[in-house]
Amino acid sequence: MNAETPFSEIYQAYAPRVYRLCMGYAGGRDELARQWVQETFIKVWKHQQSFKGDAKLATWIYRIAVNVCLADLRKKPKTESLNRSIPDLAEPDREDQHTSQDTRIAKLYACIDQLTQSNKVLIMLELEEVPQQEIAQTTGLKYGAVRTRLSRIRQALLNCMTHEK
Amino acid sequence: MKNEELTQLWNLQQPQFDAESLNTLIGKAQKQRSTQLVGIVVMSLTIVILTLYALIFTDFRWNAFSTGLSLMIGSLVFRVVLELMTRYRKEQQLINLSPRDFQSYLYRHYRQRRLIHFAITPLCFGVYSYGFYLLLPYFKAAFSTGFYHYLLLSGWGSILAICILVIYKMRTELRFLKEFDGK
Repeated sequence: MNAETPFSEIYQAYAPRVYRLCMGYAGGRDELARQWVQETFIKVWKHQQSFKGDAKLATWIYRIAVNVCLADLRKKPKTESLNRSIPDLAEPDREDQHTSQDTRIAKLYACIDQLTQSNKVLIMLELEEVPQQEIAQTTGLKYGAVRTRLSRIRQALLNCMTHEK
Repeated sequence: MKNEELTQLWNLQQPQFDAESLNTLIGKAQKQRSTQLVGIVVMSLTIVILTLYALIFTDFRWNAFSTGLSLMIGSLVFRVVLELMTRYRKEQQLINLSPRDFQSYLYRHYRQRRLIHFAITPLCFGVYSYGFYLLLPYFKAAFSTGFYHYLLLSGWGSILAICILVIYKMRTELRFLKEFDGK
């Protein structure tokens, strides 16, 4: 996918990824995350002609998304208890499993919320399975620094998920 | 919990973004672009009309009325242009900078905004209010007492309303700067 790709395709491919990224900054608040996704893609639409292709399209979009979240002047909310982005499952026997997933995702956001702004973006891009080289390009950090920091952040996140209530 | 489970958990979130949300988004973007264009056209026309008025209609006989009107429109145009310039620059930086550099930029940006809020905006307000004050004798002479009082009340009332709006915006931006300072 590159700059010549139709906007609709870019939107369909990247909106869910940008949404997950924004959820981390929105403390798991679905409505706010969706607003930021919209704002991000409005900027992508408006500035798509200025994208020169020096970086990957994904890098460019992720940068805009993170900057949109950072620039919002509203008070950043605390983590929401439930993640409404997961579709409801009809089967009653799967309800418990579903609730448990909701709780775990909410906890994941609560743990991410405890990280610094720069660490947040690193781990969320990593969770999106963006290659570390590309994470370095997106964040403007050195590759080595990204690698070292990510390993520490992952450990901290795992500790938080396992031990903290 | 294991390392790879984090990614699995993350990927459980599959939000839906349908064609309707895309259409809403494009509609909004187009509206934003046209509003910007209208804003620039209106602003340019105001400047042109003011200049023409000053050069042609006053016939170089400058009086307190022309001064008052020029001060009001001039201070307003100056403040709006300054606002548009800072917003345009912020948007450009948002598009081009990495999050780390953008965060540093935001810090500088809101420090500059503090200067604008505490020095330039009050100055513009002062000039605008003085311009309005200069017009009052002309209004009193030209209009009925009732209409004059209406102009007086609505004039100062709108200045007060703008003042409250600016203070609200200032508070939000200063809170943001405080959050930055705290990190």
